[in-house]
Amino acid sequence: MSATLSAYEGIVGSAVIRQLRRLGEKLKGTRIVHVNSTREGGGVAEILEWMTPLMTELGLNASWEVIHGSGRFFEVTKSIHNGLQGHSVPITGKDWKVYEDVNARNFERLRPALEEADIVVVHDPQPAPLLKLCERRKGKWIWRAHIDISRPFRPAWKVLRTFVEKYDASIFSMAEFAQPLPHPQYLVPPSIDPLSEKNRDMSPEEIEAVRNGFGLDPSRPLLVQISRFDRFKDPVGVIEAYRMVRKVAKVQLVLAGGGASDDPEGTAILEEVMEAAGSDPDIHVLLLPPDSHRTVNALQRLATIILQKSTREGFGLTVTEGMWKGKPVIGGDVGGIRLQVVPHHTGFLVNTPEGAAHRIRYLLHHQDGIERMGTTAREFVRENFLLTRHIREYLTLMLVTLRDPRANFIQV
Amino acid sequence: MTPFEVKDCALLGRMSGLPPAFNLRELRERIAVCGENVLFHHFCETTLRGTFDNPDYRNDFAVWSKLYLGDRVVAERLGILDPYSFPSLGELRAATLDVLDERLGESTMIPWARPGDEFFFLESTTIVFDAGIRFTQPSRLAAFIRKMTNGSVYYHFLEARRRPPLGVDDFTAWLKEDEEANRPYIQALASIDFYFHTLPHLRHELGRVLTEAKVSK
Repeated sequence: MSATLSAYEGIVGSAVIRQLRRLGEKLKGTRIVHVNSTREGGGVAEILEWMTPLMTELGLNASWEVIHGSGRFFEVTKSIHNGLQGHSVPITGKDWKVYEDVNARNFERLRPALEEADIVVVHDPQPAPLLKLCERRKGKWIWRAHIDISRPFRPAWKVLRTFVEKYDASIFSMAEFAQPLPHPQYLVPPSIDPLSEKNRDMSPEEIEAVRNGFGLDPSRPLLVQISRFDRFKDPVGVIEAYRMVRKVAKVQLVLAGGGASDDPEGTAILEEVMEAAGSDPDIHVLLLPPDSHRTVNALQRLATIILQKSTREGFGLTVTEGMWKGKPVIGGDVGGIRLQVVPHHTGFLVNTPEGAAHRIRYLLHHQDGIERMGTTAREFVRENFLLTRHIREYLTLMLVTLRDPRANFIQV
Repeated sequence: MTPFEVKDCALLGRMSGLPPAFNLRELRERIAVCGENVLFHHFCETTLRGTFDNPDYRNDFAVWSKLYLGDRVVAERLGILDPYSFPSLGELRAATLDVLDERLGESTMIPWARPGDEFFFLESTTIVFDAGIRFTQPSRLAAFIRKMTNGSVYYHFLEARRRPPLGVDDFTAWLKEDEEANRPYIQALASIDFYFHTLPHLRHELGRVLTEAKVSK
């Protein structure tokens, strides 16, 4: 159950909430439909889970639809996803046919909502073909790319582009992620919900219960990486870094993540990680159920240092979450992690397991730096990367899209 | 005095369509031809954009030159440019190009950024709306400013300088309805070196100087 807007006043201030209500009044009754491919697991579902009810509270007629697909469909869309992130993946004509057919079946189910909507926001590549199918659409359609498609595997992007170029606009998390398209490309970084189970304050007792439950030693530093078991998150590289640090410091490592229903590769990667971890009792590989938000919250709060050593990354919301808990982050020098982690200010950017090991050791030797960076990180998240900023930008985007997509100045 | 009507604004950034710049020469070429909205975004609106950093310089060109070109000389020269001190964006553009041309003339090698660190030219749409707040007493200005959003502070104190009367913020323009009586407040506002503040700091500073002016009045 999501919190109401007034519940955020204590965190962001009443002026920010009042601002959202004023913007919402300008869009009262606007029918907005979000479409993605999973109800749980991954950052997109988490965003839609709070965004939809809050938009409704602001007076919009907001709904969230999910497309359903077979295992084969999600294997294909995982390949497309990997291809867009630059991985060389073979996607055959038959695969694209599966992709289109599943979307066509979903379209029949979603047709009334999509045809009547004032604004449809289609998230990521999985449901992208819906636009072509919706010939009697009345509203504006926006494609929201949550991933970094700046250097895609060209054959994958060449086909996907034919589906997304017809949209009225697209949204990217960062300028660095965008591809040239023949419509306005807006920039809206994602955000976190400070009152969600994953981010809300926890009592010391709750946190300790999680520590005890996983057998973590309170007297030794803890390194935590929270992410899906995905090749681009480089969990094996994290274990390599841990082993380098272990030669000089008795640290513990937690690699925790869930599977997402649209990610069939997770099991294979998890097996690789288990093999790399071997029988080391200080490496805790945790495959968590999708609803383990409080466990994740506690693990991030227990961490001495948060790691997110990705080799490719969208925005990297786990970084934002870690920073909200007042922790420095050692992150891969890629994607949105570069936007969030400012070296020596909120953490460090690294390119190799060696780099990660070096920075872990550096921070362990500079305890005051851990505290200072953590405090700075939390305040930056409060100012710029909480859901209130995110909703404001979506409301702004809707007003701009419905009025004049290329205007510089609009008075409403 | 007529009531002061508090406005608020929200910014939506978008790609400008210009190709990114990989080196100092390309930066110069793009700045020479970009729209004024792009120039305004990177010099002025950057303060309203979400960030995890509190950089040394308040315009994006200077920050990029320092961080990604590694050219601290040009970063310092660009960083001191105060966009609000120029009568027009055309003159700001000319001054920026002067800095870049001077540096290109001095350089034996063009500083460049590695792939992934290129400069992206952005612009934005500003949506302005009524915040639903009115007040009439100048003595209450500080209290109201302290409760304003970053958007309101930006719109009334920074963006206002682009609108007639040019170069004057909305608070000062309003206080001038009774210039004699409000002189301490007007002087207090004029004392702020505003370009180098973040918006939360600027809000704090506005509140501070206006409160001090009230005490001394």
